Amino acid sequence: MLSVGIEAMNVFGGSAFLDVMQLISHRRLDSARFENLLMRQKAVALPCEDPVTFGVNAAKPIVDALPEAEKDRIELLITCTESGIDFGKSLSTYVHHYLGLSRNCRLLEIKNACYSGTAGFQMAVNFVLSQASPGAKALVVTTDISRFTVVEGGDALTEDWSFAEPSSGAGATAMLISDTPHIFQVDVGANGYYGHEVMDTCRPTAESEAGDADLSLMSYLDCCEQTFLEYQRRVADVDYRDSFQYLAFHTPFGGMVKGAHRTMMRKTTKSRREDIEADFERRVSPGLRYCQRTGNIMGGTVFLSLAGTIDNARFDTAQRIGVFSYGSGCCSEFYSGVATPDGQRRLRAMEISRHLDDRHSLSIEEYERLLTGKGAVAFGTRNWKLDESHVPGQVQASGPKGRLILERIHEFHREYRWN
Amino acid sequence: MTAQRHAEIFALVQNNIYEVLPDVEGREIKPGDRLTDLGANSVDRAEIVMLAMEALSLHIQRVELSGVKNVGELVDALYAKSHGQ
Repeated sequence: MLSVGIEAMNVFGGSAFLDVMQLISHRRLDSARFENLLMRQKAVALPCEDPVTFGVNAAKPIVDALPEAEKDRIELLITCTESGIDFGKSLSTYVHHYLGLSRNCRLLEIKNACYSGTAGFQMAVNFVLSQASPGAKALVVTTDISRFTVVEGGDALTEDWSFAEPSSGAGATAMLISDTPHIFQVDVGANGYYGHEVMDTCRPTAESEAGDADLSLMSYLDCCEQTFLEYQRRVADVDYRDSFQYLAFHTPFGGMVKGAHRTMMRKTTKSRREDIEADFERRVSPGLRYCQRTGNIMGGTVFLSLAGTIDNARFDTAQRIGVFSYGSGCCSEFYSGVATPDGQRRLRAMEISRHLDDRHSLSIEEYERLLTGKGAVAFGTRNWKLDESHVPGQVQASGPKGRLILERIHEFHREYRWN
Repeated sequence: MTAQRHAEIFALVQNNIYEVLPDVEGREIKPGDRLTDLGANSVDRAEIVMLAMEALSLHIQRVELSGVKNVGELVDALYAKSHGQ
């Protein structure tokens, strides 16, 4: 049978981040309540960054590493996002242009909250499996930027929506999907999907988000259970504890994943609390590593967790990873695949950790200035020019070269340049 | 009987609160108390609800129990669901 999965993978966690505990103390939130939520840093998009620059910066190293002939076999480019910049024009068109891909390529954008990445990924996997174009590859790019301002008015929003600011981040992942899955070989047909209508979190206006933290968490837990049960119905002899050496979860924040894992272990294995804790450290915590550096990057969070697992866990031999994806609204999926020592070596060559280390650490003052929206691009902006005085000085001076930045908008058309 | 069953569920929820939030153990929990005010974050709240569902063998979607504002309302909802309402 044809093998399929991730041939190459990369992550872009932005150019700047904010220390979350610093934000919590600045907002005078109860720090004791935040300690168990396992948040560390949140990536913050600068005025010269948008979902296009994030996506391109994640994908560029993958595309650059391909010989021209293979690059031309990218016949499907899917951008996965809830941070669209236009109702009609797809982000993928810009990403395609700046990556210099072949024109014989399908370009499209997928939305389903944080499930978008998995939706794009599964579509790409099935494109390869179909063999409609033998040897063709697909590039899946997840890219999201948070807009955490709560929509004013209404009383259904719980006060815990204050979690949204510390937990929401920005980031992109890029995955080359093909029949040579060096990084992650998909278990074909091993998919438990589950979706239904629920109003847990949403982006009802152009510049803000809204949500009910309790409802969202309950729905996440329901789906975590239902997707696994469906997976178990489709795959013989599956055990939550023994079938997967590692687990990668969609990670809005670490504490939520810890709670979900505890629930699943108690329900499916009747394990004791101490055993569950040890299991969490061993099988789940490697996947939290990068997620804690960016905050929730939405469509790509589950793949950030997968990348964290493959980069940071032990792979002396091939290991199976169970993956749980959830997107509000909602749709969810539990699936799995196998990663090898060779895959780990290849992914580590992307130096994801070093790139995260190299980001600028924002002061609260810099962050607040960014928050006021000065210099930032609002949805529907017709004409705009980057005012570099709104970009923190250190980023300009020491910013890495070879990255795409947004420079100008002329009659709604975005113009980018390589820094 | 009904009042007794209601009181049992209340006691069960109270014990679950003590288990998830050791800091409030022994403190009297009133129906009007909000879990947030007792120090529960959203993960803690979900866990308290789930422990109660498991103890009552309630096989419903968790989302059906969201939207309750305090301990009393949670107990009312659990009572209603466990009696097929």
